[in-house]
Amino acid sequence: MPVWLREHSWRQTPTAVYLSLPLRGARATPANIFCSEQYLKVSIPPFLFEAILYAPIDDTNSTAKIGNGNIFFTLYKKEPAMWDSLTLANADKEKLQYLRENAVVKAHEKAKEETEAKKITKQEHKKYALEATMKLEEAERKRIEDLKEKERQKVAKELELWKKQQENGDKYKSIQKKGELHQEIEQLKEIKKEKTNKTRIPNEGTSKTRPKPTKGCGGSSSIFSQNLKEEQLPAPRAPATIEVNFTPRVFPTALRESRVAEEEEWLHKQAEARRIINSDLSELEDLKEEEKNPDWLKEKGNKMFAMGNYLGAVNAYNLAVRLNNKLPLLYLNRAACHLKLRNLHKAVEDSSKALELLTPPVPDNEHARVKAHVRRGTAFCQLELYTEGLQDYEAALKIDPKNESIEKDAEKIRHLIQGTMQSS
Amino acid sequence: MSVVTGPERPQVVSHVQQALSYTVFDCKWVPRSARLLCLGSAARGTGLIQLYELHGARLELLREIEKPKPIKCGTFGATSLQQRYLATGDFDGNLNIWNLEAPEIPVYSVKGHKEIINSIDGVGGLGIGEGAPEIVTGSRDGTVKVWDPRQNDTPVANMEPVQGESKRDCWTVAFGNAYNQEERVVCAGYDNGDIKLFDLKTMSLRWETNIKNGVCSVEFDRKDINMNKLVATSLEGKFHVFDVRTQHPTKGFASVSEKAQKSTIWQVRHLPQNRDIFMTSGGSGSLHLWKYEYPAQRSKKDSEGSEMGVAGSVSLLQNVTLSTQPISSLDWSPDKKGLCVCGAFDQTVRVLIVTKLNKI
Repeated sequence: MPVWLREHSWRQTPTAVYLSLPLRGARATPANIFCSEQYLKVSIPPFLFEAILYAPIDDTNSTAKIGNGNIFFTLYKKEPAMWDSLTLANADKEKLQYLRENAVVKAHEKAKEETEAKKITKQEHKKYALEATMKLEEAERKRIEDLKEKERQKVAKELELWKKQQENGDKYKSIQKKGELHQEIEQLKEIKKEKTNKTRIPNEGTSKTRPKPTKGCGGSSSIFSQNLKEEQLPAPRAPATIEVNFTPRVFPTALRESRVAEEEEWLHKQAEARRIINSDLSELEDLKEEEKNPDWLKEKGNKMFAMGNYLGAVNAYNLAVRLNNKLPLLYLNRAACHLKLRNLHKAVEDSSKALELLTPPVPDNEHARVKAHVRRGTAFCQLELYTEGLQDYEAALKIDPKNESIEKDAEKIRHLIQGTMQSS
Repeated sequence: MSVVTGPERPQVVSHVQQALSYTVFDCKWVPRSARLLCLGSAARGTGLIQLYELHGARLELLREIEKPKPIKCGTFGATSLQQRYLATGDFDGNLNIWNLEAPEIPVYSVKGHKEIINSIDGVGGLGIGEGAPEIVTGSRDGTVKVWDPRQNDTPVANMEPVQGESKRDCWTVAFGNAYNQEERVVCAGYDNGDIKLFDLKTMSLRWETNIKNGVCSVEFDRKDINMNKLVATSLEGKFHVFDVRTQHPTKGFASVSEKAQKSTIWQVRHLPQNRDIFMTSGGSGSLHLWKYEYPAQRSKKDSEGSEMGVAGSVSLLQNVTLSTQPISSLDWSPDKKGLCVCGAFDQTVRVLIVTKLNKI
């Protein structure tokens, strides 16, 4: 239940009403005051003061002063007239209600309008600012352009001047030269009478390279003057050859051609493979030190293969693989053994595993890949899976197009395929 | 890398732009004149030489010469100032020297290489330096050959790969160290990053190194002095400046390298009037102007007491983007400081003026 504040006092002039409202100790802020055209409310919970004004006021210009435990209202009347009382006397409840709501609505609308107006002014200000900066930038640009233009024109003028000088200089020089040449001809005619054929031959010999008349000079006279000069030049150098070597590279491509990333990957993989030793130590404890080295085992396997001991070679490679399953050459060689032993499926498996390990494809592992493809192809053919075999042979050919034996084998397989197709 | 700032920077002003109807591979100023040459390849597979003259704000075509094979490169370096013969290398490996007044028959012709001549340089002419006039050509067949126009058919020096070795394309050649009648060196850059310096007086390989990326262009700062600086540009936006005054027995030459742009640096050309300023042209159509600053001491002694060079530093003076296609050729005018011509793969040739070079 609000506590009504009723001890207000007021006085009026024809244009304004002055209302004083004691607050009884409550502190007021602007938020507590609500005013519309005909309705005034001060609500400081639990205190409440409400008044339906006698006549409408101009609420935008009216003021309220808060201070000294008092609110002092200065309300400017809309119509200058004297009020009989501050509030409407015979205000029934409904009218009160209506006025209240109206007041609130009106206040809302006003607030909305105000925000709208603010927004619009803000936008206009922004636009103005933008235009101003644009103008400034334009001015700056223009200034720079003008400077450049001036430079250009200045420079063009200088160039013209220089050109004229050149032409005048040339003309002057050519006149001079004509004079000189006439003198030279006189001198040389005398020298010629004294000298023998010797001077003649060099003239003719070098006349091939004589110029046709150059600008402003007499034809024959220039030969003589040039001849004198020629005798001052050294003879052509004695021919010689210098042999050069070009910088070698691990991968024989220049930086722009190399697929460095792939090659790095390949090298990295190789290094990794070397480092891995996956071994169950328990089983291998009784092996000798050297038998634990996959490289040594590979060598052993190769020797046994060469001697024809294919089973032994397979064993060696098996052990090596157990120690290090990332070395592609082990699988490759084991595939060869299986081929010889006619374990064709195993041969296919091993070649495939080798090819897997030989990615990424780089020039370095070309040989290995060719071998893997050829071995797998052979295995397929012996299994009578000729199309797969042909695929592998063609892959091998793609890597190494110059290998004749692969070519021949591929041809044979093609014939076989065509033969079976015809018969079936 | 320090950058000169402010309005005192040299500006690169584009003076004239000329659209061509063929691919231009090389452009050169004709010495002692306001004329320039464009060398290239027409769409029908023939070679073109066009002679233009600079008139005010445009280029006027004076002459057009068509040859059976596309032309890759040319130089005036080995000819005298009166004759001004053009030496060209073409796609077929032929070296020809032309008199532009009578271009039907070459003054000198030889089938020097089996494959395209990528680069050509001349020395001993134009009143610069002393010694015999010589032309060097570098080709895709991996050989570098030096020719004397007075000797037909055989080169006076041949730098070829050892028999049986794989060859690498030679992309660029340059003469240097021609300060008296006997001394000459040839520097060659290859596509695998090799740079080799051949001494023609002793007929031996004087120095070699590898800069990992293919070498697009090499140039000495001056051909006719004791060799001072060598700039080598490569793919992937890098260039190296070697101080070739002091050669260390094992470490070779000191160098400083700079990564200028993300694209290939096609050409480097030193300003004829100031040997510490050079311009590089890039695959993104941009030109960069650089200045080299010498270190306080150009050489120092290492732990064993042998002399070792010290490289200085390079600073960017200006850069400008002219085109979307690579600028493949660049030439400074030897007569007017700051005037240069560049040809790009967008079939235009541009005449540029670089200002304020006097203040550098």
